[in-house]
Amino acid sequence: MFKRVILEDWATIVPMIAFGVLFTVFLVTTLRAIRLKPDEQKRMADLPLNDSDKPSDP
Amino acid sequence: MNTATAKTTTITYDDRTVRQFMIASIVWGIVGMLVGVICATQLSWWQMNGKFIETITGGLFKGEGLQYITFGRLRPLHTNAVIFAFVGNMAFAGIYYSTQRLCKTRTASDLLSKIHMWGWQLIIVAAAITLPAGLTRGKEYAELIWPINIAVALVWVIFGINFFWTLAKRNEPSLYVALWFYIATIVTVAMLYIVNHLSIPTSWIHSYPIFGGLQDGLVQWWYGHNAVAFFLTTPILGIMYYFLPKAANRPVYSYRLSIVHFWSLVFIYIWAGPHHLLNTSLPRWLQMLGMLFSLMLWAPSWGGMLNGLLTLRGAWAKLRTDPVIKFFAAGITFYGMATFEGPLLSIRAVNALSHYTDWGIGHVHSGALGWNGFMAAGMFYWLAPRLWKTKLWSSSLANMHFWVGLVGILLYVTAMWTAGITQGLMLGEVAEGGTTLKYEFVETLKAIQLPYILRSFGGGLYLLGFFFCALNIFMTARSGKATDDTVEVAVPEKTYDRLRFGEALFSDPVAYCVAALAMMILWFFLPPHADKAALLATILLVIKAVRVFKAKGGAWDQWHESLLRNYLPFTLLTFIAVAIGGSVQIVPSLLVNREKNIEGRLQELYTPLELAGRDLYVSEGCYNCHSQMIRTLMPDVMRYGRAGVKDDFSHLGESLYDYPYQWGSKRTGPDLAREGGNFVQGSDKVRSGKRDNKWHWFHFMNPRWANDDSNMPPYPWLYEQKTDFKSLPNKIAVQRQLGVPFPAWTKDEIDQQAREQGMAIARSLFEGSSPVGYEPMKGASTEELVRHFSESQVVALIAYVQKLGTYHEIHKDGPPAAVPLDPDSYRNVTDKTKAFGKGETSANP
Repeated sequence: MFKRVILEDWATIVPMIAFGVLFTVFLVTTLRAIRLKPDEQKRMADLPLNDSDKPSDP
Repeated sequence: MNTATAKTTTITYDDRTVRQFMIASIVWGIVGMLVGVICATQLSWWQMNGKFIETITGGLFKGEGLQYITFGRLRPLHTNAVIFAFVGNMAFAGIYYSTQRLCKTRTASDLLSKIHMWGWQLIIVAAAITLPAGLTRGKEYAELIWPINIAVALVWVIFGINFFWTLAKRNEPSLYVALWFYIATIVTVAMLYIVNHLSIPTSWIHSYPIFGGLQDGLVQWWYGHNAVAFFLTTPILGIMYYFLPKAANRPVYSYRLSIVHFWSLVFIYIWAGPHHLLNTSLPRWLQMLGMLFSLMLWAPSWGGMLNGLLTLRGAWAKLRTDPVIKFFAAGITFYGMATFEGPLLSIRAVNALSHYTDWGIGHVHSGALGWNGFMAAGMFYWLAPRLWKTKLWSSSLANMHFWVGLVGILLYVTAMWTAGITQGLMLGEVAEGGTTLKYEFVETLKAIQLPYILRSFGGGLYLLGFFFCALNIFMTARSGKATDDTVEVAVPEKTYDRLRFGEALFSDPVAYCVAALAMMILWFFLPPHADKAALLATILLVIKAVRVFKAKGGAWDQWHESLLRNYLPFTLLTFIAVAIGGSVQIVPSLLVNREKNIEGRLQELYTPLELAGRDLYVSEGCYNCHSQMIRTLMPDVMRYGRAGVKDDFSHLGESLYDYPYQWGSKRTGPDLAREGGNFVQGSDKVRSGKRDNKWHWFHFMNPRWANDDSNMPPYPWLYEQKTDFKSLPNKIAVQRQLGVPFPAWTKDEIDQQAREQGMAIARSLFEGSSPVGYEPMKGASTEELVRHFSESQVVALIAYVQKLGTYHEIHKDGPPAAVPLDPDSYRNVTDKTKAFGKGETSANP
């Protein structure tokens, strides 16, 4: 049922795919952050950043 | 100026020196990074080695390349500028600022501060002139020529005197954590720098290091690795311990963690140098020791990172608004990532893939750009408003710097990971059947061109960020006024600095550490079974020490507290901690790995002309792209070894007379260890290896002639410039002093040999069935060409390249005997180690 896929030039392709995935995720995240609406930006910026000495809001 | 009263005194800090160092750091940082970006582009476009000037000058400059800006010469300029000029000046700024405040006193001597500041800048200028001129010692980060080395040592000593004098004058009894790291930096860098730069001059601009071959490699990486440790890490950790709590307005997370972090870091780091020489002909026990300590190093490094990041507990909200905290938090995070990656790369199996590739380049840049660069920027943005008594000119520009720099680093590092892993995998791939390699070297180079371009872009972004920083600091300075802080401090009663060395040294903590270490070292060196007893004794001592600590921990704490109130015993113990690792590795190697103990391959001596060629190879910085060390790995041997020769990796005896060693760290081009070969038929002066002399002639002239995809620069000046025959007698005399068994030739004999060999090689080029040509001397007769080129640098370099990898066999009767201080000689635990001992290759290290 399943066939093994053997790529002739896997050594050249696999690292490039890995880089491409990483780059894409980074790019998408960056673009999303840039395109956020101002109030949404503010809401996310105000998320608590693990302040151990501040009780979190219920 | 001190105006003493009964209990308090008024101190005016010397902030002028801090401002000067900070400005110098920014200026040199931009220069160093710009050179780095140029170097990066040279790997994608060979024209960047000088040909591009033809285009931008509209043809005023004509030439295929410019010798002063080839990659081989610029890369050392980049590394030296970034390490010593950018980070060095930044560290000095941080040290001068924080030491005065931590000691509650002005720096001891304004004169020494000035000499330090201006002396250091002069050294940098000297480096910027000499390195592009091809004046180099040929060892990474230790390239500067010997007169500059002496200047560096003197300025460093002046810095040390000034610093310790300030400690002696302090008005704060106890030394804060940051000062411990500064002490370790000053003491250790002095030790490393002096030992690795020990040389015998042959002229005002040239010297040979006193170590050769593998000993030179070992000493070099003891220095090189610990330049990272004690120049790029410990001073910046000290800066982190001072500036981060200031910026976050929180105390350091854990004082006890600081103590453990400091002592374990300074002790362990120094042992890890051999991880730069894994799978080479370095003795196996040294490789194992280097790998083991590198893995252990992960713990103290992360101790430092956690202490930094956890200091930010409760201050994370500032991350949104304060660019200083942004830079510090990201810098410490990069430190954590780089110090996780370091031990990972030190595992022999991982190193088999990563070594000589761009993975190493990515690793060092996550440290240099992320840790050093971001900590520097954070410190600058914190300092500038205080040094000029104003507000930071633009917080949003600082934020912009952060994001542009961060994207630059991420692009750079990920591109290098991709390039390194791709190339490492490709170089090791075998074709179907497993008897041949799948890819030519140049194919692997071609495959990583996209990441190379992305790296240049990432580096360019990072550089742009520092332009923002320079503008911001400049405008901040303009908007304020240079001011030196004046404070009133209490003068404590002098109850500190009274501890005697004996009291510091003869104590439980020191006794247990020394005894356990002595047993551990015996465990390395004792023969089988006795070593197990030493290991057992080590374990028992550690158990006993833990129990004593549990019972009398308070006394140990008190001892350490008293040590912190006495800077000289503290400094002595720090020195002992850092001196142990180097001694245990280097001394046995100097005693054992010598010509008299060599069995098997021993390299052939260079002729005078070949030695001149070797010095040209060093001078052009060829080691920046080519190694001369075929590792004990099957793909390496298949690729760079010779067909039909068994175990054709580089053996220990094959580089014994190489001053300096030229194993390199990065292969942008193929390994050259087997480039040479035997004499051609009927000659005792002309050799021909993998390729003949004519091939090398055309290849140096235009590497694209040999391969369209080569990124090697052309070397047209080698055809015009003459070999320096005059210096050869001196050079050979120095090599004889160093133990190279040259015969006692007279000056005339040396000159005659060099010229005769030059003539013979030139004839091999211009005579025979298909002579080479030389466009600028189109009308010249064969005899004129032979005479001209017999003295040319290209012929000397060809002579050297054709000698590479030649050796003769040394046979000794009977089985190999155990050699004291050489654990490899009597520890054959398994068949595999036995195979390594015999020097057999392994496809799976």
